[in-house]
Amino acid sequence: MRKLLGQHEFYLAMILTVLVIAIGLANPAFLTRANLFDLCKSSTVMGLFALGVLIVLTSGGIDISFAAIGAFSMYVTSRLLLAVDFQGSVWVAFLLASLIGLALGLFNAVSINVLRLPTLIVTLGSASVFRGFLLAFIGTSIVNRLPAGMIAFSRRTLFEQTLATGETIGLSFSFVLYLLAIVAVAFVLRYTLLGRGIYALGGNAEAAERVGFNLRRVQFFIYGFVGLLSGVAGLVHACTMRNANPFDLVGTELSVIAAVVLGGASITGGRGTVLGAVLGVFLIVVINNSLILLGIPSYWQKVATGGVIIASVAITAIRKDGVRHAAASWR
Amino acid sequence: MKRTAVLFVMSLVALLLVGSCRDDASPGNSNETSYTIATIVKLDGIAWFNRMREGVERFSEETGHKCFLLGPPQADAALQVQIIEDMIAQGVDAICVVPFAVEALEPVLRKARDQGIVVVAHEASNQVNTDAIIEPFDNHAYGAHLMDHLARFMGTDGKYAAFVGSLTSKSHNEWIDGAIARQKDRYPKMVLATDRIEEYDNQNMAYEKTKELIKAYPDLEGIQGSASTTAAGAGLAVEERGLQGKVMVVGSGLVSQCRQYLESDSVKLISFWDPADAGYVMNKIAVMLLNKQPLAEGMDMGVTGYEKLRRDAEKPNLFYGSAWVDVTKENMDAYDF
Repeated sequence: MRKLLGQHEFYLAMILTVLVIAIGLANPAFLTRANLFDLCKSSTVMGLFALGVLIVLTSGGIDISFAAIGAFSMYVTSRLLLAVDFQGSVWVAFLLASLIGLALGLFNAVSINVLRLPTLIVTLGSASVFRGFLLAFIGTSIVNRLPAGMIAFSRRTLFEQTLATGETIGLSFSFVLYLLAIVAVAFVLRYTLLGRGIYALGGNAEAAERVGFNLRRVQFFIYGFVGLLSGVAGLVHACTMRNANPFDLVGTELSVIAAVVLGGASITGGRGTVLGAVLGVFLIVVINNSLILLGIPSYWQKVATGGVIIASVAITAIRKDGVRHAAASWR
Repeated sequence: MKRTAVLFVMSLVALLLVGSCRDDASPGNSNETSYTIATIVKLDGIAWFNRMREGVERFSEETGHKCFLLGPPQADAALQVQIIEDMIAQGVDAICVVPFAVEALEPVLRKARDQGIVVVAHEASNQVNTDAIIEPFDNHAYGAHLMDHLARFMGTDGKYAAFVGSLTSKSHNEWIDGAIARQKDRYPKMVLATDRIEEYDNQNMAYEKTKELIKAYPDLEGIQGSASTTAAGAGLAVEERGLQGKVMVVGSGLVSQCRQYLESDSVKLISFWDPADAGYVMNKIAVMLLNKQPLAEGMDMGVTGYEKLRRDAEKPNLFYGSAWVDVTKENMDAYDF
């Protein structure tokens, strides 16, 4: 029990539960299956990005280029498949997008390792490079007709059901991809040497090197994997929206990083869990998708979103002060 | 070695001189010179402004003036201000602008005019710091005509919701003002479900918010969109939920964006004015102003819908065309943008 009380995720789950009950009391429509499915779908793209961000933050780095990688991968994939009039499975599209993402992620890894530059600067630069290249050389116009496989994927749902009102509801199939990614990342971080290496690198790089971790290899994995996840996330986004818009995604970096930090990952590295990140994302999605249900006027919606985020961080921070010394939170 | 260095420096100086001479010549001192005109829109990359770019480029080709279109990657007033600042620094002759937030642009547009740059605005009937404003039509009339269609699809009763790009987007809010006024006047059995909803010219946002609206108001029967992204986003949500025929979506939009939703009946009707024509006319007015030609009631811009411009009674620099086009599943194949 004491162990549970000491955990950040526990408090986050509590906040989330209170919020869900409060919104549900205010508007019972929130507690319906239709809404649960919607929330799951809405958290998929952000969640996939967040898993990547979690790994980077845990390793003591920061990656700002993931959204640009996502946009790049999905737009190039869509254009390529359209150019060859591709009619086959959506998995080819996913493979292509993840390979493009992987390549761009490795570009980050090479820059960080060979040039020995801070990760923030490298990814800030590469985000601009990827985005600029995309808009200058590949295109700026939105693709409104995606390949048939991608459209079919966006229509695919689980637990489909027609309500008495004639409405059809279902859980978007893309959520399965998110679940798979959650399991994969949790496994790597928890049970593999590589995962230990990521935590070690974030905790103290020098010590990690001395105990024998090959930090270069670990970093190549981290940035390559983030790229790959971002490619998948980008493609899921395109399928969901049924169009490929090269201007999409970029601009969401900060809210994803905020969600992960809200989930308890330390921005200085060494600390962070998959459960925390997933809860953090879900909390932000719940806030963003409940303001109309609560009948909050448009101008007040921004105030409400910011307010809940600050309150959540404050509650978890105060808890930390109770456990450790107050000074610790100044670190 | 030293001689080469001197030669190199001299040639550099010569190059600079040539360059600056050309710079001096280009901002038109006489009517014959070609003007540089920047058209700055809310958001680059969406179909709407890509189409506007075609009109701007057509004008450029026909007249030889240097005209181009720019916009921020996200609909954001601060980013738009930045681009206008850049254009002022580059010394363009005129700026045509489609503001995301009218008030936020006033200072930078005043700065532009102080430096002798001609400013022409579009979709911004209340812009103060501008030489001319050109609107495709009277905004209240446009909103009212969309409401007439929405009422027809809804059978003149039931709940509806209204979207705007932002609560600060002047035209969007005037359309909705016009629509609500028309509804109260002629369709008293219809009810506005909630405050107008913002979607930031973002299709994803329109989609998410429509899904939420459907849950919050299960008896919702109609949606009127304003930004070009609303109809497609709302249409996607309606199609996914299988609510075609129950929730009627009408709004501004382009055929390329909405085709699949018009086909599946999840969007009933879209209306637009050709952004290419608007871009063309804005640039033409900018050149007229640069050449000190007067703008007058009833003038003909040589473009369909703008043959006889109407001057606003209270604001002498505000002009309206009559350029809206309605598109349904039946006639959508006539439009290829």
